[in-house]
Amino acid sequence: MRIFFATDIHGSETCWKKFLNAGPHYEADVVILGGDMTGKALVPVVDDGDGHWHATLLEHRQDLDGEEAVVAFEQSVMRRGYYPFRTTPDEVDELSSDESKWHALFDQHMIGTVERWMGMADEKLAGSGIRVFVCPGNDDQLEIDEIVEAAKTVELGEGRVVDIDGFELASTGWANRTPWDTYREEDEPQLRERIERMVEGVTTPPERTIFSLHCPPHGTGLDDAPQLTADMDLKDAGRSTVPVGSTAVREAIEAHQPALSLHGHIHEARGTTRLGQTLCINPGSSYEQGQLLGAVIDIDGKKKVKKFVLTSG
Amino acid sequence: MATMASRGDEQALFVRKATGLVRGWSVRDAFIYAAFSINLITLGLYIFSFGPFIPDGSLLWAVLLGGAYLVLQGITYASLIAAMPRAGGDYVWISRVLGGGIGFVLAVAGWWFILWLWVPIYANILNLEILAPLSAIVGWDSAVTFWGGDDGIFLSSVITALLASLFIALGIRTYARLQKICFYGGLIGLAVMMLLLLVNSKTSFIANFNEQSADLYGTKNAYDATLKAGTDGYDPPALGAFALGSTLLLIPMLAFFNLWSNWGATLYGEVRGASDFRKNIYAMAGALLATTVAAIILFALFSKTFGWDFYNAANNAYWAGTAPTGAWPYPGLLAASFLPPVLQFLLVAVLSLWFFGWVGTVFLSSTRVIFAAAFDRVLPEQVAKVSRNGVPTIALTLMLVPSIGLAALYAYSTDFRTYTLDATLVIAVTFLGSAIAAAVLPWRRKEIYDASPISHYRVLGIPLITFTAGAFILFLGFCLVKWLQDDVYGVNNKDSLIFMGAMYVLAIAIYAGSRLYRQRQGMDLKMVYGEIPAE
Repeated sequence: MRIFFATDIHGSETCWKKFLNAGPHYEADVVILGGDMTGKALVPVVDDGDGHWHATLLEHRQDLDGEEAVVAFEQSVMRRGYYPFRTTPDEVDELSSDESKWHALFDQHMIGTVERWMGMADEKLAGSGIRVFVCPGNDDQLEIDEIVEAAKTVELGEGRVVDIDGFELASTGWANRTPWDTYREEDEPQLRERIERMVEGVTTPPERTIFSLHCPPHGTGLDDAPQLTADMDLKDAGRSTVPVGSTAVREAIEAHQPALSLHGHIHEARGTTRLGQTLCINPGSSYEQGQLLGAVIDIDGKKKVKKFVLTSG
Repeated sequence: MATMASRGDEQALFVRKATGLVRGWSVRDAFIYAAFSINLITLGLYIFSFGPFIPDGSLLWAVLLGGAYLVLQGITYASLIAAMPRAGGDYVWISRVLGGGIGFVLAVAGWWFILWLWVPIYANILNLEILAPLSAIVGWDSAVTFWGGDDGIFLSSVITALLASLFIALGIRTYARLQKICFYGGLIGLAVMMLLLLVNSKTSFIANFNEQSADLYGTKNAYDATLKAGTDGYDPPALGAFALGSTLLLIPMLAFFNLWSNWGATLYGEVRGASDFRKNIYAMAGALLATTVAAIILFALFSKTFGWDFYNAANNAYWAGTAPTGAWPYPGLLAASFLPPVLQFLLVAVLSLWFFGWVGTVFLSSTRVIFAAAFDRVLPEQVAKVSRNGVPTIALTLMLVPSIGLAALYAYSTDFRTYTLDATLVIAVTFLGSAIAAAVLPWRRKEIYDASPISHYRVLGIPLITFTAGAFILFLGFCLVKWLQDDVYGVNNKDSLIFMGAMYVLAIAIYAGSRLYRQRQGMDLKMVYGEIPAE
């Protein structure tokens, strides 16, 4: 069975489209998105009247004349994983002064985008025979689960053990604590309990078991993130890294020894490692460039997974 | 839970609190790494001593022109980082834009294999600037002789390789801390050295040099004797003299020192906009220009206190093997001659921080390339293995063992020692690959370019990245032609070419072998860089 795994696309429209095409492209039987689907920023496209607009992306202010220019700009925003919205100068002022208002707008865009993406998946993959799993990550609101669950071709992974042709996939997007107090994070003991509760449902032997745990195991190199100062600056210009993965995830892998364990969360820590018999993969993420980093894995039910490549699609 | 980001009067971006949302990173930290990579004290002073090989060339003008021009290299690399941040450097840039095979061959030759040769080169600098001078100061004559001999070079190569391995084993976090201490300590040393040269007179230097040379090496009237030996058939040009042709010929030689402002290019933080793009330029080009200015100040001080003729003659005599003292004229030691022995020792020791803060870089980037190639399945999975405490044992072994082998060749074959600039040439070829990738990026990977913060910058209607990369290609092309054409650089002889060629053949063989092996496994390496259609 061939699996394609990608993760942390953070709202990038291009990456989602590529993910939907990844199955046929890599001749994969199963495609799995490991979490953090939603974007991190809203970009106002401000109406200046008479068909003129302005907006700023990557600190570059652009004056946009006409619908075509606005649409092109919006596409470049979506490609980067941000949400564009058309607005007026007064509305921007209002949003700027009222945090709850723009939070609500953010929610609306995140949920709306995921709904639209599920529609795209249904349209593209119906009847393809490719099974598609999405497991929201720590940066995704809890409401996302219902939307994914409602999709016809996409299956929700969160907290479940699902059978795939005699293999079992156990997934969760929950992570250990981060400095950002995100939607799905908890202390290590609770995370361990959560994983254990889920893994109790696994009936296959380790060589036919797959974990998809958004957070990477601690101290494996798959969790090396830039060290931060107290002011949330990158220490030593980003050169200094520290392991920030989960000890609970590591313990679960070491205890259950699934053949394959798929991770994400730390975009910079692209790589593979082994914990005992388990092949652990974090394909990393370059969603900002519209690059879908991923992994193609052939799993055959033998003790060790030996055939895999990290991809940069 | 969420936060906002302001840009000017009108809010241009509403950013929620999400994983990885950080404020930024410091230009100073990136500057330190770049300054270490160019390294005026180690690489600079070492290669300046080869100046007399191009008799009419002006060191001052060559450093100035080369440094100013290579700002374009800094902009090229800052642009690549902005377009493809955190991507893994030359390997991934070339692979993604020009193809996986080219990327692998150029990157492993330039960032892995040739760094084996850098180990004995670093070791030679360790001998000339630290071990031999310190031994001389304490009056340990036999040690001075030993470090200058073949066994000394071999032993110091082993020390260098082990030191670099130790720093990697300690982890980049510890190494970054150590580098910072070394940088500030080294700066103090440099400032003291400059101050000594500024406040003391040439007469005083001559007297001290003569006295100490008599004590240390038994050479009488050493200043005049050195001047005489070094000017036999060589007439050093005046400090400010400018002979364009010869000065241009010095530039490929000086690339040994000033081509490395981009060494940490892939290590810095993510580029989120124009200001981060500028930060990368400030860090890399800033370090290059600051080092260039410091070099020029040193030249002026050498001229004032040692005498420019003497500085060049001493270097010429040393490399000709006719130096009356037999010692390499290390300017740090010469400046220290105004001090009593204890303080001399201390100054040379403090200046040695420029070496210790820098030596880890010889293996640091190599291990990253080895890891990246293993993740791409070109190299076996095992080479990316790390020990429980995070030490990349196999990748380190792949650096350490061959470097010791090459160190033996370097130490015991005088011919091999003349291939020093091979070490620069092979990396320059890798940079050439990246420069070509950068130049064609706006067309070859249009979507990536269009989505990057650099897409709005143009010069004469040409994308900035293409313009600066084009200029950098010209620079590298000029250097490559000169290196391969002129005997003076010591790289264009048959054995040297075979040595470099073997590295590329080995890289091609590894790539071709892996490709075939993976194909048989049903895992075509084409998948690694093939782009998935978005529509």
